[in-house]
Amino acid sequence: MAYRIRPAVVGCAIRPAITGRDRSLEEIIYDISQAALADAGLTIDDIDGIVVGCNDQFDGRAISVMMASGPVGGVDRDIMSTPSSSEHAFILGALRVASGQFRTQLVVAWSPTEASSMSEAQRLGADPYFHRALPLDELSAHALQASALNHVWPNAWVFAETVAVKNRRHAAVAWPSPPARPAAGKARWPLTDRLTTEPTTGAVAMVLAGETFIAEHGCENPAWLRGMGWATEAAFLGDRDLATAPALVEAARQAYAEAGVTDPTATFDVVEITDATPYSELIAYDALGLSPRSEIAARMASGWFARGGRLPVNLSGGVITFNPVFCTGMIRIAEIATQIRGRAGAHQVDGARLGLAHAGSGFAMQYQSAIVLGAAP
Amino acid sequence: MSGDRVGIIGIGQSNFRSRRDDASYPDLVREAVVPAMLDAKLDFDAIDAVVYSLSPDAMVGIGNAERLGVDAVGGRNKRFLRINTGGATGISSVTAAYYHIASGVCDVVLTAGADKVGECGDSQTVLNKIWDPTYERALPLGTINMLAMSAVRYMRRYGMTEEDMAYIAVKNRRQASLNLRAHLRKVVTIEEVMESRVISWPIKLMDCCPQSSGGAAMVLASERFIRDNKLDAVWITGVACRAETYWMGDRMGNNPTAEHADAYALGRSFEQSYRMAGITDPANQVHIAELYAPFSNTEYHAIDAARLVGKPGDSIQRTRDGEFELGGRLPVNPSGGTLCTNAIAVTAMARVAETALQVWGRAGAHQVDGARVGIASGNGGDHQIFGTMVIEA
Repeated sequence: MAYRIRPAVVGCAIRPAITGRDRSLEEIIYDISQAALADAGLTIDDIDGIVVGCNDQFDGRAISVMMASGPVGGVDRDIMSTPSSSEHAFILGALRVASGQFRTQLVVAWSPTEASSMSEAQRLGADPYFHRALPLDELSAHALQASALNHVWPNAWVFAETVAVKNRRHAAVAWPSPPARPAAGKARWPLTDRLTTEPTTGAVAMVLAGETFIAEHGCENPAWLRGMGWATEAAFLGDRDLATAPALVEAARQAYAEAGVTDPTATFDVVEITDATPYSELIAYDALGLSPRSEIAARMASGWFARGGRLPVNLSGGVITFNPVFCTGMIRIAEIATQIRGRAGAHQVDGARLGLAHAGSGFAMQYQSAIVLGAAP
Repeated sequence: MSGDRVGIIGIGQSNFRSRRDDASYPDLVREAVVPAMLDAKLDFDAIDAVVYSLSPDAMVGIGNAERLGVDAVGGRNKRFLRINTGGATGISSVTAAYYHIASGVCDVVLTAGADKVGECGDSQTVLNKIWDPTYERALPLGTINMLAMSAVRYMRRYGMTEEDMAYIAVKNRRQASLNLRAHLRKVVTIEEVMESRVISWPIKLMDCCPQSSGGAAMVLASERFIRDNKLDAVWITGVACRAETYWMGDRMGNNPTAEHADAYALGRSFEQSYRMAGITDPANQVHIAELYAPFSNTEYHAIDAARLVGKPGDSIQRTRDGEFELGGRLPVNPSGGTLCTNAIAVTAMARVAETALQVWGRAGAHQVDGARVGIASGNGGDHQIFGTMVIEA
């Protein structure tokens, strides 16, 4: 179905690795919100509503949106929060603009690393009777997913290594002076430490606006929302075939139908995938219809998904470069918006007109979203 | 807006209780979803999206517990996201579902959730964690003493007495006695409330809401879908949300950003939802109100903020006059309200659901005769995030 008002991203700020300990979480959230507003050439007075994506367990608070409402400008404004994922904040913000009842939305997400154990914070999200005792954290769930993929696709581990090398090479271009060099993550068989990255503190914000506001304010280079899909898997890993991603297939179906995309293999100028591990990227290639598995080997060899290739994926360096766990999904969307707006800097794709962002989160990517952004409305 | 409205087509609620040892958390969600779907006369295939209503994770002891609710709401491979605005979560979830439809993206959206507050150990220990860990958490603040401070200020500004507070408890308990789904249904007297033990002066035990377990669910649909399928509906004609400062001290200093006696942002939110619904004189145009008031004193400033009286504080005398009782001119919380049932994740959804049932003429023994226009509200955080809605037949 069509949006009543087509939304577009008119401002972005991405900080995937915030180092130093001189800023409180409130200040980090204030900084990122102001940076997105500055990128949009707007001030908080132009913002009608706010949606934040934040997670009580990572933030060490109950109802984390409360603390955030000041720093994002929520006082005397309409503010909501989606603790399910950062990308859901973008989706709700886009729906609110699309309703025509808001001219603009500020969407903000963050992910601190102050929890004494990120793994334990995640383990609280496992069901208390069966999964929690395993013990299960997100990395373990990703490892189970990798193992499931290796089982049905015996060469997957080879391609996973190739994906990791590709994304790290992209990072060298995207981040000539990286804000941090995160240590290799923990190994969880079959994930070696080369395939994972230690979490960073990060934040991301975007300003969304509708057609009329954009025309009236002369917002430059809007990244128009062309299609948006989101769906969830079941919670129990045992209820899922972890080698597949049916929720992402459904999310892509919704997004492509809205955007009129019929051949995703040959449509996009640039793609960002939430490579929580390189195996997540391989599963997403399949579920998003970006490449048949039978052709992955040849395409990997020819640099199809690399910088300069036919379908460049994760020019930002992806999650394997910077892993601010909870906001990695919204960062993928912001990266594509930035590409479409021509503001990606060192890793800009010349003339990027249509891009695809994949956002996934939760245990073995329970939540899946696909967002198509374009230079034309 | 004609042709573009969003309607409510299905409602399900648990019979709320202190404990539900017989039902797991997802079971409680399902318990509300099934009657809502039956009420909407739809199959799960018709649901385009689900908005999950869940406030602090710590209350159910599971991080991101919405993930475990996916199957209970039939959410697998569907659009699904969760809302949390504290106590306002329930109305915020209905609001989010509303935008799914108002955007043009979805035709039918289910919103649902549940809570097990009565089984969480101690909700005030959990709720203390909503405050800043460095400054205000250590006082120690809880939601009861937070609103006791509001009561003290309201007494000083407007002359509310402890008996006035007790009267609200008596009124709401009497109304809850008619509502089979309410948790506290025992009728009480002013004397009993006054003699109940002090929890945080001037709030006494019977001025407090209970800790409830149960679920709620609602199905919303586009006007086009409702007409095409010849469904019965009531309509969301006004919707808004407003927040105020997080810091308690900023509401009680010499130059408060918003006076803690009142509900500033609730008033702002009502202004916006009235504007959207075309309501200019709420005191005369609204027939029934379900206002989120977890402690007896807070019903007064909620009535003020909803502009059901001329000026702040007028709610005291008008309540003494019986205007806001079931059978009075403009019944407030005919279901018994939050004071008699508080399963936090869905309490504000119950306000919307009860208002919808009233204007639908389906509220049962606590039906307000002739109600056609109703309002609902939800309060979340440290009396910080407010959601409001106008619902019409």
